[in-house]
Amino acid sequence: CSDFQKTLKSEDTAAKFEMANELFEAEKWNKSYRLLDQILQKYRGKPQAEKLTFMHAMCSYKLGSYYEASFHFDKFTDIYPQSEKAEEAAFLAAKGYYFNSPVYSKEQKETIEAIEKLQLFVNQYPESSYLGEANQLVKELDFKLEKKAYEIAKQYNKIYEYKASIKAFNNFLLEFPGATLRNDAFYYRFDSAYNLAVLSVEYLKEDRLNDAIGYYNALKKAYPNSEYLEAANLMEEELQQQLNTFTTKS
Amino acid sequence: QVEGGETYLIKEISVTGNTNFSEQTIIAYSKLRKDEEIQVGGEKIANAVKTLWKSNLFSSIDVYVVNIDGNTADLEIHLSDLPELKDLTIEGVKKGKKDEIIDENKLKPGQKVTENLIATTKNYLTSKYRKKGFLNTDVRISTSEVIDSVEKERVDMRILIDKGEKVKIKSINFEGNEIMSDKKLRKAMKNTKQKKFIRFLKRSKYIEDDFREDLVSVVDYYKENGYRDARIISDSISYLNEKNISLDIKVEEGEKYTFGKISFIGNTIYSDRQLSNLLGIKEGDTYNGVELRERIADETNPDANDITNAYQNFGYMFSTINPVEVSAEGNVIDMEIRISEGKPAYFNHVTVVGNDVTNDHVIYRELRTRPGELYRKADIIRTIRELGQLGYFDAQQIVPDIKNPNPVDGTLDVEYSLVEQGSSQIQLQGGYGGGGFIGTLGLSFNNFAIKDIFKKDAYKPVPRGDGQSLALRLQASQFFQTYSFSFSEPWYGGKKPFQLSSSISHSRQFLYDNTTGRADKSKSFNITGLTLGVSTRLSEPDDYFMLSQAISYQHYDLQNYNTGLFTFGDGTSNNLSYTVGLSRSDLSVDPIYPTGGSNFSVSAKFSFPYSLVNGVDYKALKEDREDQNEIISDYRANQNPTLQETAAFNDANARVSEIDQQRFNWLEFYKIKFKADWYQSLTKKLVLRPSMEFGFLGAYNNDRGVIPFERFFVGGDGLANYSLDGREVVQLRGYPNQSLSSQDGGSIYSKFSLELRYPITLGAQAKIYALSFLEAGTSVNDFKDFDPFKLNRSAGFGLRIFMPAFGLLGIDFGHAFDNLPDGTAPKKWETHFIIGQQF
Repeated sequence: CSDFQKTLKSEDTAAKFEMANELFEAEKWNKSYRLLDQILQKYRGKPQAEKLTFMHAMCSYKLGSYYEASFHFDKFTDIYPQSEKAEEAAFLAAKGYYFNSPVYSKEQKETIEAIEKLQLFVNQYPESSYLGEANQLVKELDFKLEKKAYEIAKQYNKIYEYKASIKAFNNFLLEFPGATLRNDAFYYRFDSAYNLAVLSVEYLKEDRLNDAIGYYNALKKAYPNSEYLEAANLMEEELQQQLNTFTTKS
Repeated sequence: QVEGGETYLIKEISVTGNTNFSEQTIIAYSKLRKDEEIQVGGEKIANAVKTLWKSNLFSSIDVYVVNIDGNTADLEIHLSDLPELKDLTIEGVKKGKKDEIIDENKLKPGQKVTENLIATTKNYLTSKYRKKGFLNTDVRISTSEVIDSVEKERVDMRILIDKGEKVKIKSINFEGNEIMSDKKLRKAMKNTKQKKFIRFLKRSKYIEDDFREDLVSVVDYYKENGYRDARIISDSISYLNEKNISLDIKVEEGEKYTFGKISFIGNTIYSDRQLSNLLGIKEGDTYNGVELRERIADETNPDANDITNAYQNFGYMFSTINPVEVSAEGNVIDMEIRISEGKPAYFNHVTVVGNDVTNDHVIYRELRTRPGELYRKADIIRTIRELGQLGYFDAQQIVPDIKNPNPVDGTLDVEYSLVEQGSSQIQLQGGYGGGGFIGTLGLSFNNFAIKDIFKKDAYKPVPRGDGQSLALRLQASQFFQTYSFSFSEPWYGGKKPFQLSSSISHSRQFLYDNTTGRADKSKSFNITGLTLGVSTRLSEPDDYFMLSQAISYQHYDLQNYNTGLFTFGDGTSNNLSYTVGLSRSDLSVDPIYPTGGSNFSVSAKFSFPYSLVNGVDYKALKEDREDQNEIISDYRANQNPTLQETAAFNDANARVSEIDQQRFNWLEFYKIKFKADWYQSLTKKLVLRPSMEFGFLGAYNNDRGVIPFERFFVGGDGLANYSLDGREVVQLRGYPNQSLSSQDGGSIYSKFSLELRYPITLGAQAKIYALSFLEAGTSVNDFKDFDPFKLNRSAGFGLRIFMPAFGLLGIDFGHAFDNLPDGTAPKKWETHFIIGQQF
């Protein structure tokens, strides 16, 4: 039976406290956490509780239980707003939310939550040394939301729902003005409009050709050096040709 | 003296008053700190008081500023604990009820006794007994302080319940009704009934709320019959004695009205004629306000063919329709249906939330509502139905949320809120059956993500979210082993609903050794199979149709496997076939418990007609076989065969298996199947499911004959066990398994069934429904014997339980009405255990 097991089973709160502290320093998160879990209640309302609460939250953070960690860090900053660890706790709480954010193709409730929490942190501690990292995390999360909207719009293009794709890309360009995928969005919006026009029923064709050319011009204007331009130019030529048959007819 | 507004630095915080909590705890909880600046009447103190109040532990909380010394001061928190409940006495009800009362009102010792607790308990008890018909219930609650050595403040509580006599409605009397009889009006009252000798289901209790509702029903009843001025003038209760009351209702009927001219105003999309057809009310009809409302917008049925839906399904989300009475001269009411069509609405954002397992692309491709497209209510309803059919989400909890409707721009957003449900099933079972231990391991994942199988993080517990299905099944006993694996992707390539599926299986069966009672490993029958299939959704005649095609190959290998079934004990047989099927399914909504729609499928499976091209003279073979059979039957009839005759018999047997081996080396057949079932809601819950099915297995070359595989086995629970020889096991309850077909299986069958289902619960954790059925079917080997009216009939009842982790489990009790094909009478009642979904 190891010392740890003995202490874990003993009733000696002070010994547990000491050992938890040692283990924490030695970065034995799991063992420290188990001890802390036992004694946290006993120190409630006492001065040691501040340190214990922080250590407890930190252990769950290090163990990867981010839901729990964020919850306890949030509680810590709530109870001890004056603590010197409050800033670190606030940041780690927000970062815990960041870790909970799932892949872009699933529901983004946690992502939005994480952005809000990080934003709150930045507002509360504008001088913080964590500021750079916080901003980096927000950027990463923002990209997730952007990617999600982009992929949905692109899927409409893929499943031949061109009208839906154009609308979804229009919304995307409006809602993500600084998007990384803007160039791609411009191109795929044009691609959808091109297909919609080329495959169109006769009585709507002229309007759709014009719309598509409009989207081509928008792409060219926004990204004169776009890697998509070569393909787009060819498509535009075809659109112009088809449009000419309308103008010569009338 | 403190005025308010001054700021002090806190020196000490103390806690006084009558409390059992430690000083430290209360200070920590209050969030007030030493050496902190506070303002008298400021936020910090207010917050501290608020937080302490919220704990629901104190009856009074005060914070005082004391010992002011310059700009420093001490704080004193003065509190008293709420009294705790010690003993509770309840009088006036049975002992069993007491525990219920304690539970429901949380009257456990130690509970803090607040005024609110006393008031809610009293209200709860009064209304509880009133609802049960104890109209005169009187509840009294008193508390008394406990004086003992414990320092805590505690009280005893005494609850006195006087239920009085159960009150019944002796009679309901109407006054002022000349046109409608008392009887009819009483009938219109759905929940309040007068005492009657034979009433069982609805008791003649008086419940105030129900009675109020019923008075509205009475007025509605008049309105439905043209008396739109009808009203209740007064209602009263009179106590006949302790147990009986009578209700007296005075009505004023008013005059009967009829509809006059009905004109439409503001309609541009639909013509007056179209609208009046939809309305279905003509000039001269009895005035019926209820019907008029329903024809304009039927609240009870979102799919109804009413005027509102006509607009809603044409993009006019913002349309409003108001019927207005323009004149009522001579009891003839002229109506104007005023329509404001508004702008057609288009979807702006279409989003999905709640998918924490399933990937976006799997969901968005199924949505019938897309950005930029015209709003149609029917599309939303269909989307809900189809998302439910996927099986990844709880069909009962799919909610479309219309957001940001903007009548000016003509746009709206819709957000589908989903709740993921377990779509994987694990089956691990061991049991005795077929003369030995059978172990089964079945895994089926219906929302698999094969692209993630090498990602460690994705194993929660298996990679999920791409809508693929993967199933693995291993089953073994000493007599057989089967292994099967299948995989399918519903949208191969991601561009169109083009399902690709594949499966591999292998099975081994051993014969029973009579001497040892164990499996004889030297006598085996092996089947190895491979199937590849594709299916696509069609757009014509409508997009509920699916066309599916499959190629399958099976290899049968018999080793010394002599049974009655096979004439060749040693040999092989190959089955290469092509299947094409057309099906249509529009079940709504829940795949486990459909309440509407139908399923229909027709399929043909056939092999290449080898006999047309391979030049084998099957006619000669057939004649040869008949000759040999003659020798065999002669020998069997012979009492004292000579040695010579025995030798000839053995030769004949060998020749028959040689011929059969030649007939079945490559299986030549075609198989046609047809299946249809419908689901029809009879009432809000009751669902009727009629179904019918036929199957026919034929040969291109009658001399070559119908193959011994791919046959139909009718009767029993319909569970296909380990046999992989292409057999179709058809459920027909009330009879033993496979008892209605000949031993080798029939080549023709038909079945009809009528099932009535009633849901007990359709929650996400478990869906349970009860059913009763009437079934009839038959199976024969030759078309000549097929008589569609000579059926084996049965009836019975059962129960199904569906739990996401276990799949469908059920039990049915069936009663057979007809003799088995061999003339014997079946057991009267047959019990069937059902595992897995029957489609």
